[in-house]
Amino acid sequence: MTGVRLHSVDKSFGGDQIIDDVSMNISKGEFAVFVGPSGCGKSTLLRMIAGLEETSGGAIDIEGRDITQVEPAKREVSMVFQSYALYPHLSVFENMAFSLRLARTPKQRVVEQVRAAADILKLEGHLDKKPSALSGGQRQRVAIGRAIVRQPKVFLFDEPLSNLDAELRVQMRLELSRLHQKIGATMIYVTHDQVEAMTLADKIFVLNEGVVQQAGPPLELYDDPDNQFVAGFIGSPAMNFLSAVVTRNTVKGIVAEIEGTNGQSLEADITHSVIEEGQSVTLGIRPEHLYMRDGGFTSTVELTENLGGVAYLYTRLAGGQEVVIERRGERVLHARESVQVWADSKDVLVFSERGERLR
Amino acid sequence: MVAMTLIAPFVLIFGLVFLYPMIRVVELSFTNAPLIGSGEWVGLENYRQLLTDNLFYTSLKNNGYFVLLTVIPTTVIALAIAIAVNRLSGRMQALVLATFFLPYILPVSVVTQIWAWMLDFQFGIFQPVIEYFVGEPVAVFKQPAWVMPTIAVVTIWWTNGFNVLLFIAGLRNIPKELYEAASLDGASRRQLFMKVTWPLLWPVTALVMTLQLILQLKLFDQVYLLSGGGPFNSSYVLLMMVYREAFQLNNGGYASAVALVLFVIIMVVSVLQFQLLRMGGRK
Repeated sequence: MTGVRLHSVDKSFGGDQIIDDVSMNISKGEFAVFVGPSGCGKSTLLRMIAGLEETSGGAIDIEGRDITQVEPAKREVSMVFQSYALYPHLSVFENMAFSLRLARTPKQRVVEQVRAAADILKLEGHLDKKPSALSGGQRQRVAIGRAIVRQPKVFLFDEPLSNLDAELRVQMRLELSRLHQKIGATMIYVTHDQVEAMTLADKIFVLNEGVVQQAGPPLELYDDPDNQFVAGFIGSPAMNFLSAVVTRNTVKGIVAEIEGTNGQSLEADITHSVIEEGQSVTLGIRPEHLYMRDGGFTSTVELTENLGGVAYLYTRLAGGQEVVIERRGERVLHARESVQVWADSKDVLVFSERGERLR
Repeated sequence: MVAMTLIAPFVLIFGLVFLYPMIRVVELSFTNAPLIGSGEWVGLENYRQLLTDNLFYTSLKNNGYFVLLTVIPTTVIALAIAIAVNRLSGRMQALVLATFFLPYILPVSVVTQIWAWMLDFQFGIFQPVIEYFVGEPVAVFKQPAWVMPTIAVVTIWWTNGFNVLLFIAGLRNIPKELYEAASLDGASRRQLFMKVTWPLLWPVTALVMTLQLILQLKLFDQVYLLSGGGPFNSSYVLLMMVYREAFQLNNGGYASAVALVLFVIIMVVSVLQFQLLRMGGRK
């Protein structure tokens, strides 16, 4: 069953097209994440679903009901803001009870529902406190509690963890995952942090310049990106991109000569696309797929980051292109030496000059 | 040591022009001294005399009446204007705000002259308006029932811009997300005001009201320039009485006693009010 559906939704401010013909389908109970760089329109899209921004064109459905022109309060959505947006003059209890009080819910039910939400979020001991007496993580939990109490059809999160420190962010991320499992509601989560997107999402929507670049489960986006933008955005450290020229077609794919390596080449598997010899392409290789092997292409180590279990070698080709290599269990420091690098043809992705994936 | 050196200029000036005169005023109020020169110790005689002075009671009553006429009305008007101005954006907002603030930068003598003309019995442009409502033109500064309310209107017009500014600052301090969250929670326009704006603006309101209270209790210039305390001393206020006793009748000791009474009233009332308002806000 559908949770949220967008039909060619548009949004323009003045003359600028912020959201450009976006269509998407989020199933009921799914955890969807909008991810993209700042200014890509992800927050605007979320606010359009909430009704805080008007939709210039297209339609938005929630569980089959067209809510494009419905006022925010009647959309049955709850939103959690980056700044928490707690009412500073009200206690935690009253903050969570706010919507119920506006709806003139009987007192007994208000108490029950707030207590139930406080129980889920471990806030029982703080109900009488003012938000100013709480830590950042607790405030965010109150904001989530306020959303839960309304029992909405869809939860909207607008970068809810951005104001927390790194440790707390990881902890809250896990709690959000647990919360989703527990209440099973449709959730839409906006973030610029691809780690949050990868860990939380059932389905990721990568946005750039108001357009959905690709939508799918996290690992599908990681393994099989549709374009260079998605490939570069998902994964940390980012995928290596090497400019190359196709020199030969083989049975399995292509052989391409990497720029700035004096004729050294890599092979890539291609099944459908036809690529002519002499065509310029970009090869995409994830750092963990590069390994050292005699007869590979030559790159010079500039810097090593050793994290204990894993090390990242920042190397540079003679032509100036940077290549990051991930090494597991390596403790050797490579200082300013040349290494021979290779990747298997199945792990080399090919992109056209316009950034489209060639499969 | 460094701290002492840094605050020394302030302490020195404060002591010289504030603390010392204040102690002298207290001292003077127990003597029958003229304005210049020393007098004899008379104990509480000045205060005893105050209690039988009709002008003192008139002035006290007028001060209270004026506070009632200005403090709450100016606060309500300023809040209403601030909310309206806050809805505007960009240049339009700056322009409208400047318009409301304009009277505040005028000196009191100009303000009173403008209003004296506008309300002039013979040629004032407001006389037709008064005539429309009352049935006849009114010499507002010559009618005991009209004089204090008119001075109150002039004062509100003159000082309101500053209060608008304070409220605008307060309104801008309320995060936009709170309104968004409340509207998602189903709050109507009225509920947004009652449940978000008003409680969050309460500290500013308490400040505005307290500042106004102190300012309006110190009323002098407008009365002096518009009605001179008349007609028949019916618009006399405490500070005018201080002026009259000290500079016109040369009763330094008695004037000091009146001044001290006003000082105590302002202290007690403003502290009391601010505390009450803060308690009201906490509830």
